[in-house]
Amino acid sequence: MSGASRLLVVSNIDLKTNTPITKPSEFLKSSFRDFILNINNDYRYMKTGYYVSLHAEILGNDVEPTTENAVDAYRVPILLTRAAKNGAPTMPFIATDSVKQIIAEFAFPVVVFAVNPFSFNGFQTAKNRTALYRAVKSLSMNYRYAVCVQPLRGEIVSCKSFFGESTSEDSSIKEIAKKVYQTFRLPVCKLYVQRFDGKVYLCGLQPLKIDEITPSDVGLISEMVSRKSGKGWFD
Amino acid sequence: MTRIACFVEKYNFTCSDEAEALETFRQTAQHMGHEFNFIFRSGLSEIQKYDAVFIRATTDPLYTAYVVSKTAWELGLRVVDDPISIRICANKIHQYRLFEKYGVPHIPTIFLSKEDFHHRQIVEIFEVFGKPVVIKAPYTSFSKYVEKASCETSFREVAKRFFRRSDYIVVQKFTPSRFDWRVGVLNGEVLYVCKYMMPKGKWKHGVKRRGKPSFVWGRTVTLKRDNAPQRLKEVALKACSIIGKGLYGVDIKEVNGDYVVVEVNDNPSIYKGQEDLRDKDIYEKIIKFLAE
Repeated sequence: MSGASRLLVVSNIDLKTNTPITKPSEFLKSSFRDFILNINNDYRYMKTGYYVSLHAEILGNDVEPTTENAVDAYRVPILLTRAAKNGAPTMPFIATDSVKQIIAEFAFPVVVFAVNPFSFNGFQTAKNRTALYRAVKSLSMNYRYAVCVQPLRGEIVSCKSFFGESTSEDSSIKEIAKKVYQTFRLPVCKLYVQRFDGKVYLCGLQPLKIDEITPSDVGLISEMVSRKSGKGWFD
Repeated sequence: MTRIACFVEKYNFTCSDEAEALETFRQTAQHMGHEFNFIFRSGLSEIQKYDAVFIRATTDPLYTAYVVSKTAWELGLRVVDDPISIRICANKIHQYRLFEKYGVPHIPTIFLSKEDFHHRQIVEIFEVFGKPVVIKAPYTSFSKYVEKASCETSFREVAKRFFRRSDYIVVQKFTPSRFDWRVGVLNGEVLYVCKYMMPKGKWKHGVKRRGKPSFVWGRTVTLKRDNAPQRLKEVALKACSIIGKGLYGVDIKEVNGDYVVVEVNDNPSIYKGQEDLRDKDIYEKIIKFLAE
């Protein structure tokens, strides 16, 4: 994991573990020199989860996730490029703001993700030209930014992933969650995958809202943290 | 021959000086025997056909330009601005933390978090820096999202707006000057030097006209890089050395005979007749760097 001697867990989630947990606000005022495990429901750029990783890096610590990975994982075109490079199955995609180009590239239906500084949640599907114009106009913020478009061949399924362990029962989804974690090391995230023809393809990744994390999720995260730190875990 | 893609957005061609500079880049590259094509958002899938990518559209980790930079980086292409430089330069918190760590002289700075945004903290800031203070959003560029506050009410109003996108903001001592030095740096060498003058009666280089969406910009006075003060160039190079080996524009103020860094910008403006006025070889140097 790192050359650092100790593991420091920084979390905004109340975990049930014997491992000492530091709150982000406390860590951000400190100068701890350890391996930092940053557990947060949201690592978006310029949010507290991001600044925890940044603070750890400035102090010269190894940290999970790094700021680079935190930025890249939430940008769908970069997520797909890097995950595919690491062996995760992905659909073809294009990043553009041109509806004509999308129509020339893919047959309907398609799924559209935002690539702008303001939208982080959700996606839109389009079954025809009118719906596509509407989706692109909305997610590109009136064509000011690009969108990421993929063909929609099956159904979109979302699942939570904690340290690469998916909450889904599907073994293919579990495999994708592992690959995404190996690539980006995001301890907590929500994955969007497309199930089609018996196979599963990675589509997108988004932060979890704090109220989406259930008590059983907290138990799962706590168990992982205990395992990583070598300390006990209580339920 | 190197195939160079220049990523631009439509707004890069709205100002004639910038459009002319872009055209000069194209002509210089072709004159040097390279291919140079402009690509827009609709041409992102063509990046892999090129050997190098030169980004001229505004960079920020949340903009398309970062996707372009990172994609090119992942494909192993030469890219200016590289994703690391974009991440550091686009977030002033990241940048000033590095300045503190590596001892780069900079304007006295405090980082303010959403949690610490309360009356006692604001009073303390005014006690330390005096009035007014400068409040900066971490994502500031082109003099936008940098505002002055002289009282708690205006401090709260500005900070509240900037906290919408970032959980941290920057507060700095107000350091008025007639101009900011702008030192262009490429690969650890000074490329050009100029003075960005403040418009009459204003405190920053670009100021929004009251009640209008347009900006008033101060004049640009360009010097030959060899004639610029040595200490100025040293400070600029030190600031860039902690960021990377790309293309940067360093803003520096002269305070009591010494130089302090205001900020380092990736993707610095290059306008025809301004930054290139005294040192005409800047286009050639940048193309050469991309083609190496």
